[in-house]
Amino acid sequence: MHSTLVRLQNVFGFFTTVAFSVAAVIALSTFIHPQSPSASVELKNVQVVRGRPHYYSYKKEEYAHIKFDLDTDLSSLFNWNTKQVFLYLKAVYPSKTPDEPASEAIIWDAILPGTSAPWHQNHYIHPTPKSSAKSKNSKKTKPEDAASPYPPGILKLSGQRPKYQITDITGRLQNRTDVQLELGWNVQPWVGALLWNNWEDFGMWKGLLGGRSDKFDFPSIKAGKTAAKEKLDVEKGKEGHRLEAGGKQPRRKGN
Amino acid sequence: MAEQLLEQVRDAVEGQIDFEGQRLSELLTTVLLGAAGFFAFFIGFMAQDIKLTLYIGLAGTALTFLVAVPPWPFYNKNPEPWLSPHTRSGVSIDVDGQKVG
Repeated sequence: MHSTLVRLQNVFGFFTTVAFSVAAVIALSTFIHPQSPSASVELKNVQVVRGRPHYYSYKKEEYAHIKFDLDTDLSSLFNWNTKQVFLYLKAVYPSKTPDEPASEAIIWDAILPGTSAPWHQNHYIHPTPKSSAKSKNSKKTKPEDAASPYPPGILKLSGQRPKYQITDITGRLQNRTDVQLELGWNVQPWVGALLWNNWEDFGMWKGLLGGRSDKFDFPSIKAGKTAAKEKLDVEKGKEGHRLEAGGKQPRRKGN
Repeated sequence: MAEQLLEQVRDAVEGQIDFEGQRLSELLTTVLLGAAGFFAFFIGFMAQDIKLTLYIGLAGTALTFLVAVPPWPFYNKNPEPWLSPHTRSGVSIDVDGQKVG
């Protein structure tokens, strides 16, 4: 401590220790925030169609369009250390052979920002409920001003269209049985560990109440409809088009 | 003249403080940084605002650097009294034929 340089090193060295300790305590403080998430997932409508993975593809696959109702209260996941919650809804269906694990495919997801997270274009904006949309003035607002009509973690979606149309590795999806929609999430804190959803109680954290839909079957493709529909649609959600926009288009083999 | 100036600059950069000052500086570092960390967490937790924690912690650290690092005058209040050169001690020290003590 006799010279400036030694004092500088000493102060900085102890600062790193303090910073690490405070970060560790913040990470642990997450566990004393009680959590009691609940969600109800219901199937609205399911349709299986035949389509192509992209425009230049000759391969035809079967795609499931699953519309759903989602009503969640995940507000207890948002504590002072929550940066964002990645919420996803997946369709789970058992494989045809019993020794293979069930297939899981995400049909919809959203990034729910915490209260202290700065604005980002990928944050999920909850659609405004129709009753209150009329009362708002028609003046267009900036995307920065757009905010969810509900507090963080509250979602009230009905008849929500899927973000991703799902297909199977075999390319056949019709008449599959015992499909179930399941809600999952990943809490991303400012400091600390990533945490996924838990179904069992864990200390002050209650397991997810609900979060699974009733089991349903994928219907078969309507014969008349596909015959009339000569042009096969490209089966791609909003996200897929966005990824493809700047990307390379696959070429035809003949060219 | 130039050497004198250089000596002053060297002293300013080195920033030497006395032994009591070193003890005080070490104590201030520990207390200030520890308090900053504690209050940063406590106030942030009470306000449920993690940015407040960050800013209090950084402000406390900046204050600690400001207090503990420069050679403030209060670190030099107990200068060590050096022994006067003892020429009358009866011991003579020869270095390369020259008498130095």
